[in-house]
Amino acid sequence: MIILNNVYYRYEPEGIDALRGVSLEINNGEHLALIGPNGCGKTTLIRHLNALLLPFDGTVDVEGLDTQKPRSQAKIRSLVGMVFQNPDNQIVGMTVEEDIAFGPENLRLPMEDIKKRVAESLERAGISELAGRNIENLSGGEKRLVAIAGVLAMQPRYIALDEPTAFLDPAATTRVLDIIDKLHREGVGIIHITHNMAEAALTQRVVVLNEGRIYLDGTPKQIFGKAEMLQKIGMHLPQVTQLLIKLKEMDLPVRTDIVDMDEALNQIRILAAKI
Amino acid sequence: MYHAGVFIKGESLIYNLDPRVKLAFIFFLSIIILWAKSLAVFLIGITLFFVALANSIKLRTIGQAVKPLLFFIGLIFAAHALFSAGEAFVTIPYLRVSFSLSGVQEGFIVTWRFLCLIVAAVLLTMTSAPSQIIAAIKFFLRPLKFLRVPVDDIAVMIMLALRLMPVLLTEKEKIETAQKARGYDSRASGFIIKIKAFLFLTMSILLGVFRRADELALAMEARGYARQERTSMAEMKLTSSDYLMLAVAGIFIIIFIALYYCFS
Repeated sequence: MIILNNVYYRYEPEGIDALRGVSLEINNGEHLALIGPNGCGKTTLIRHLNALLLPFDGTVDVEGLDTQKPRSQAKIRSLVGMVFQNPDNQIVGMTVEEDIAFGPENLRLPMEDIKKRVAESLERAGISELAGRNIENLSGGEKRLVAIAGVLAMQPRYIALDEPTAFLDPAATTRVLDIIDKLHREGVGIIHITHNMAEAALTQRVVVLNEGRIYLDGTPKQIFGKAEMLQKIGMHLPQVTQLLIKLKEMDLPVRTDIVDMDEALNQIRILAAKI
Repeated sequence: MYHAGVFIKGESLIYNLDPRVKLAFIFFLSIIILWAKSLAVFLIGITLFFVALANSIKLRTIGQAVKPLLFFIGLIFAAHALFSAGEAFVTIPYLRVSFSLSGVQEGFIVTWRFLCLIVAAVLLTMTSAPSQIIAAIKFFLRPLKFLRVPVDDIAVMIMLALRLMPVLLTEKEKIETAQKARGYDSRASGFIIKIKAFLFLTMSILLGVFRRADELALAMEARGYARQERTSMAEMKLTSSDYLMLAVAGIFIIIFIALYYCFS
């Protein structure tokens, strides 16, 4: 479990607080979406999860290890993997295998173990066919998956992803989301920053951040059922929910707490039968 | 995007050699190329070209590697052809310059030496993964650890430099395209506008580099990087073909030195 207790953070001593008393518990194997307007502190928050940033006040505890303690930080970084927004700023190797090996090399594993982890990570990220390829020749989606594989090679219990589908085409987005879903089913905890509400609706829990504070926290249905509160901070609802709200406004008898496409279709079928 | 000299997976005797053997061989070969007499350099060059072709390195690839250096090579050739002592055999009256036969010959030899060095470098980089080359460099620098030289950090720096070079080139192309999209035409613009555009390009690239360096440092830290000893995935094991190569190289060097002193 990851526990953030009353975390405050500011980038400059005299600057404004980027995080203001954030308290959050993330369970093992949980799939959590972190949403909120630009500049609300999402990236700052996930960078606290693997001790890249340390709280100015409050504590972050990862599986019983305090991120403030320098001795715990190496272990914490192998427990919580971090996938950055731009894979070009994360990938350090010239070839796919070299990059994936970077983490295990830092863990000072023997050569055979590194090779084993590289092969496993390629397999888990669904990119075995990219082994040996030069990074420069990969597409944006493939680079994103290489970045994920690089993190998987550390065998983390949690992965924090900063907008993993940003700038990807629909096919690449689906591929990345499928891999994230597969990792979640394998028991890896996922903390997923997104601006895409349909992606957030697919997770188990949605945390909304606003001005450095937790604004809302609940299941996708609970969160997207609070349309007014979300609109107040400039957030949109998933398109299916928006459609059902429009139907409701036309005095049609539909539920509006639906975030899932199949459930929405069912509602519309029932409605059509009634009409 | 394809770049000359970038490692391409393959299978051959040279591919399978230990990177330390390849690096040491290329190092000594480079010294010999710079030191040897013209006939010997010519023969080394021909052999290198054949070895490159036998390892699926196309002439086009060698051409790509030479292309950015053409101006420099041409300048060296011209300097030798024009300024070497000897009887003039061609004179350009209006420019009042003359080429001597010995100068042209010397220019050819120096150019040939450069070509040989480039082919040797391409041969090394295209048949060895960067991690292998870095592991070999780390191996040879290892004694410096006793002098507290941060060998592991140097290896990581080389890896990052190799990785970021194409990224920066892409960034430069993007900024140039953005400049063109906003109406800048380098051919039609005056000197001052060209200087302004160049300064803008340089500043944008520099800012991009610093931003990237910050982010990359964080990403490396997130993957457990610290200034400490690291292990490597690159396999470094001397096999019978490595010993054979070392023996051939040793014999070659002995013969070369013997011939050099016999003929001089």
